[in-house]
Parts: sequence; C-alpha cells; structure tokens
Amino acid sequence: MSTDNRPLAGLRILDFTHVLAGPFATRILADMGADVVKINSSQRAVGTQDPQHPYYLMWNRNKRALALNLATDEGKEVAHALCQQADVVIDNFSAGVLDRWGIGYKSIHPLNKRAIYVQMSGMGDGGPWSKFVTYAPTIHALCGLTHITGVEGREDIGIGFSYNDHQAGLHGAVAVLAALEQRQRTGIGHRVDISQFEVGVSFLGPALLDYFANGTAARPVGNDLPYDRAAPHGCYPCRSDRPNPDNIPGLDERWIAIACMSDQQWLALAELMQQPPWAMASELQSAQGRVANKHTIDQHLAAWTQTQDAYELMARCQAAGVPAGVVQDGADLIESDPQLARYNFVRPMQDVHPDLGPTWVDALPIHFEKTPCEQYQRVRAIGEDNTAVLQDWLAMSASAVAAKEQDGTLR
Amino acid sequence: MPLNGVRVVDLTDERGIFGAKLLADLGADVVRPEPPAGDPLRQRGPLLKTAGSSDQSHEDDQISLWHAFYASNRRFFAVDPETSDGMTQLRQLLQHADIVLVCQGAFAVDHANLDDVQEQRPELVIIDVSSFGADGPWADYQAPDIVAGALGGFAATTGDADTPPLKGFGDLNFMVSGAYVAIAALAALHNVRTHGQGQRATVSVHECIASCLEQVFMFYWYADTLQRPEGKVLPRRGALHWSDAYAVVPAKNGSVMVTPAPDFDTQLMWLIEEGAQEDLIDPKYQEPENLRLRVERSMQVLRAWSANKDAEDLFLQAQARHCPYGWVLPLEAVAENPQLAARNWYKSIKLGEQKITAPGPVFHFSTADSDIELPQRPHASAATHAADILAELGWSNS
Repeated sequence: MSTDNRPLAGLRILDFTHVLAGPFATRILADMGADVVKINSSQRAVGTQDPQHPYYLMWNRNKRALALNLATDEGKEVAHALCQQADVVIDNFSAGVLDRWGIGYKSIHPLNKRAIYVQMSGMGDGGPWSKFVTYAPTIHALCGLTHITGVEGREDIGIGFSYNDHQAGLHGAVAVLAALEQRQRTGIGHRVDISQFEVGVSFLGPALLDYFANGTAARPVGNDLPYDRAAPHGCYPCRSDRPNPDNIPGLDERWIAIACMSDQQWLALAELMQQPPWAMASELQSAQGRVANKHTIDQHLAAWTQTQDAYELMARCQAAGVPAGVVQDGADLIESDPQLARYNFVRPMQDVHPDLGPTWVDALPIHFEKTPCEQYQRVRAIGEDNTAVLQDWLAMSASAVAAKEQDGTLR
Repeated sequence: MPLNGVRVVDLTDERGIFGAKLLADLGADVVRPEPPAGDPLRQRGPLLKTAGSSDQSHEDDQISLWHAFYASNRRFFAVDPETSDGMTQLRQLLQHADIVLVCQGAFAVDHANLDDVQEQRPELVIIDVSSFGADGPWADYQAPDIVAGALGGFAATTGDADTPPLKGFGDLNFMVSGAYVAIAALAALHNVRTHGQGQRATVSVHECIASCLEQVFMFYWYADTLQRPEGKVLPRRGALHWSDAYAVVPAKNGSVMVTPAPDFDTQLMWLIEEGAQEDLIDPKYQEPENLRLRVERSMQVLRAWSANKDAEDLFLQAQARHCPYGWVLPLEAVAENPQLAARNWYKSIKLGEQKITAPGPVFHFSTADSDIELPQRPHASAATHAADILAELGWSNS
C-alpha cells in the first residue's frame, strides 16, 4: 500500500508538454503527488528541451522520464497504449498535433472514457490564428500586456519575464483539477481547450469591460493605479548597497515601493518624514489632492528615500502602518528574504543529480496541513524511467522494454 | 458544468478573489458574504459610467467593473456578523460549504470560527491566504499589489534602465496568488473525494509570486552554467528577453516582438530572400561557441530590417513562416481581435440594467459530442441573493 498521502497520489498524467507553460502545469501536479510521465526523446532533447539545461531543470522535477520516438509507428503505438491507461493527457503543442499522431481525445475517448485531455495551445483549437507559433513574448504582445505594461509613451517595455507562461500553467492545473471533479461526478473524462492567448487577454478583464462599457482604452500608467486614487504609489530610489564592478546597468540600484492607500497611511508617512512643510500642504491631505500633485510628491519622496537603507526604511514604514516593500531581485529572495527562509521555500534538492551535482528547488507555495507536499525528486535523464513506467502502466516486461530501447522506439 | 454542485463560501479580498472567480466561472455555487454597507471592493474602478457621472467619481451607487469581473458568477449575501442573527447565518452558510476561501483580515474571517467548523466537519476544505504566511518578521506587513510585487520579485524584472522598476497593470500579482488558491481548493477537494478527508491549506502571496519568475532563480542557481556577463542577477531591461533572442522593435504603424528563435535558419532564409542577411551567413555564426554572438547580431539585423515594414504585415508574414513574432496590440485592438471573434470568445453579460460585452471563459470543456456551457450569470450590484440563500439555509422570509 502506498504511503504517499499527497492529494494527487495515484493519478496518472501523460505529459507531452514542452518549454514552460505546460511543464509548469505538470510540475505543480507532480508536486502534489501525481505520477507525471514526461515524454521526451533524444531527437527533441536540444536547447531548453535538454534535461541538463537549467531551464529544463527548473520545470521538470518530480516527473518520471519516458523516451518515446513519436516519429515511428512503434512509438505512436506505445503512446496509444499509455493514453488508454492515463487519467490525464496534457500537451501544449499547436492545436491538432496529438490528433495527427492518432492519440487525440476523439481517438482515445472510446477506449478510455475516463481520460481527461487538456490542450494548452497558444491560440486555442479553432480560429484563423490557431496554428500560430507562440512563446510568452508573442502572447504578451498580442494580448495587450506588452502595450499596457510601461510608462506613458512607451509600448516596448512589457513584463520582464514570461508571466503568461506561468499563468497558463496555473490555469492548466486548474483545468485538470476541475475536470477531475467533473469526472468524479459523471464518470466521463472531458477535453479542455485552453488558449494561452485568451488566458493573457483575461488579465485585462476590468480594462476590457471599461472599454466595452465606457469606450475608454487603457494606456500604460507606470506604477500608478489605473483606476483608483492612491498617491504616493510607486518605486523610489534608495541608497545603493551593491557592488557593480562591471557596470551592468541597474545592477547596483536599490528601490523601495511605497503605497499610501488611505489618508491615514499618508499621515503616518508624513510623520515618518518628520512632517516637512511640503507634505503638510493642505492640498495633499486628500487622495484626490495627492493624485493631482503626484509628481511633486514623487520628487520629494525620492529625495527623502535615496539616502536611506531600503530594508531599514521598509521596516520603519511598515511599523508606522505604511505599506512599503524593497524591490527584491533573485539574490535578495534567495540569500536574505526572511519569509522565504522561514518556510524553507528555496532549498537544495536532496536528491542530488548524478551528472550535475547539486540542483535546487523553489517549493510548491501551497501548504496542505494533512497531506503535505514536501517530496522533491531531481529531473530525470531521457528515458531514465522507461522500464519502471512501462512496467507500472502497461505491465511490460523488462526484456520487452529493452528490445524497444534497442530498436529505437524508446529513445 | 465542471464544478456543478460544489459549494464555496468566498471570504477573500484582492489577494484571493481571482481564485474564487475561477471556481465560480467553472460552475461552482460561490456565495460571497458582504457587510450590510456593501463589499468595499464594489468601490474599485473602473466604474460603469452612467448619465451624469464623471470619470473620477466614486459614487456609492455606481457599478464597479472591477467587481463585475472579479466577482463574476457569484451569489451575494449581506450579513452582519456583529449581530446574533448574522453570526448564526454565517455559521449556517459555512455548515453548507464544501470549500471556504479566506484571506486573513478580510470581511467576516475573524467571526467565522473556522477551527470549530473544521472540527465539526472534517470533510471541509479551507484555503487560508495571507500576504507572507502566519509567522516570520514580515507576517504583519501590509502588501497591496505593488508592494507584494516588489518584495516577491516581479518589479525587479520589469521596467527599463531609464524607468523605475514597474508593477504590472492592475492586479497581476494577486492574479497569481488567486490562481494558486483555486489549485489548492480543487486539489484538496480531490482528496476529499478520494479519501473523505478535508483540511486547511495555507497560501502565501509572497511565495506564489516568487514561484512564477521564470529566469530569476535560474540565473542565480545556474550562473556557472549560463555564464552570463550579468552574473547571478539580470536587471530590468525592457522587453529584451533573458535569452537576448526576443525583443520589441519599432515598425511602421506599430511595434512588433521579433525573434530569430527557435529556428535561426528559417529566419536567416527569410532575410536572404529579401537580401537583408548582412553578414549573418558568415560561417562563424554557425559555431556553437558563437551562439551568443549570433543572437546579438541577428537581433541587430532584425531591428534594422523591421523598421521599414508594416507591423501587421510583418507579424502575419512571420507567422506564415512559423516564426513566433507578436504584434504589439493596444487594448482596443485586443477588443476587436479576429481570433477572439472567430472563437466567439467575448460574451454578453447583464450588469445592472445594462448588457455589456465581457471577457469570455478561459476554459473550454467538451465531450466527444458536445461543448459544455459555462455560466454567464448577471452581475448583481448589491447583495440581492440574500433571500434565496437564507431560504436554502432554512430561514423564512420574515
């Protein structure tokens, strides 16, 4: 009897995903105990698909590795058999790839009515752009996130990382779990079509409603709130505390975010600043007045913050009831963030990689009280789990697996 | 509907409300209690303009489009937990729930006595959201979205060398924590279905944001492998991707995200066809050790080449060649997008007395025979579902 009590223990997921969005979805499900079998092949294992590439290491822990040459009929036969045993089949190819391999939902559903299919393509199944090739920067551009993330007059800034890939992954995990609840009730596995583009567009929901209802097209607002009155509300420079021997732009900068969401918080900030005359001006005692004079406030506030230590200032602001936070980068998060340390969020992988040595974990940010998810296993090499997976899922003998490895089917 | 029959009580604020939305949009019966004076989130803009209202007015009787989006498909229930009846109603509501979503400090959470409810109903799922976790030196810090994104790592990546670090537009950080809330709730519900055991799960917004930063931890942990000139930290630098191979460049009539990836040769062939390859055919660029040089030079060539092309044409030609370019679209173009139109994505919802166009569902469920319709309930501008809910709880109209 299994001793694994994680919430998804026993769930079989066949994972055809690649790059970030799909692998992030299956990483979350694997962290929660699902038996995720990651399909890769020696032919495809290049660049970020190489299991030793740092990018691959980030998103593919806790999964078992099956090598499958899907260019061969024999490889497709194995995939077909696996789909018949799967609870979930998930991919983030362009729409229709699994169908062309004969292992799409319509082919498998008559044979495995409980199989859930989640298809996380860039543009969704159907429509004139359905075959478009997308990565997160593509989606950010098309869905409005690039245009809207920036400062007035700039449409070339956007978000500095693949936000939508992560969110598409989170939505993929939600889809799997919702489909499981539906299957629990109906006995039928459904197909879920997720368009990563639609996921991205949905993040502009209130702005789209504003456009459709009021005819107002949102524009970049920097660090301001686009619709509500709050000032100050921005990032302000602090005293530099970083060596930057190579003069990398921005590397030695320190910033703090400060946001006064109420008159009370503004008064508290003014008190911290020892009530300078500019801050006590009558027109700044209401949110409306502060927003109207936000450039003046920002200039004075930046002059006040720029000589101060960012972390000390944050602590003093928070103690006074003023929301403030240091702009933290990766080094801050890993080396000195007390909250992440308190919850052991970043940690070395105990399961040391035989070729690479130490690898690392950023933990699942969900803490289940009764079914904790604290098991982390390293990323596996191409085909490292061929025998174990095919024995578990298809009752295939070790010698049969070896023969398929020999003939190139499992490679 | 996927979550038909799942009963959820939504005691969230901005940090978790997106999770409640995801569950409601998937068909769960999500009841959102609010104070008799109204949910404070009903004040958040943008507001629905009505005759005589100004852009900046925040009148109590105006409808919040923010609330209409985030509190979609809910039933609203006014309750005063300071009264005996209110406490009884809240307790009864919790007794009927499969899932309770709470944000620490949000309305009625301190009155809900969830430990007692959990003890009486071990099958209950409770998802408990806080900004930084229950313990630690920052546990009581206040963190609206901009502060959460600063501490969590979002802001350090976003912006350009000549701008401050930037937050995302709206509440993008809280949309991450919200999505994790939905995952936590449904995973815990799956455990109830398979083992009969409910539980509490805690979610820290801070950890959620930190878990979704793509290259940030990779740069730090694998700096020796990546051998980047920036070392372990990549400062903000506009839309230039960490790989250096994706950037937004100006074109005629707009901007385009261009890239020679993933197949550099396909892009090179296109440039050769147009006589724009410059020196990219030099064999030195084919050497693996010159990959960074090839990327850098390719981006220079693409930037110059794109400047004289129409943005839409360039985007469509690239996609016809399976090059993953993206046309930088403003909001109004997203609203009129042909792909969304072809998929009939935008829906009409009733908002007060008006029907308006609204973002559609992000999940499309189907069987081999038919599509599953997801809910598009009218959005109520006040707690108008109280009578129905109280009747379900056994309270008479009087």
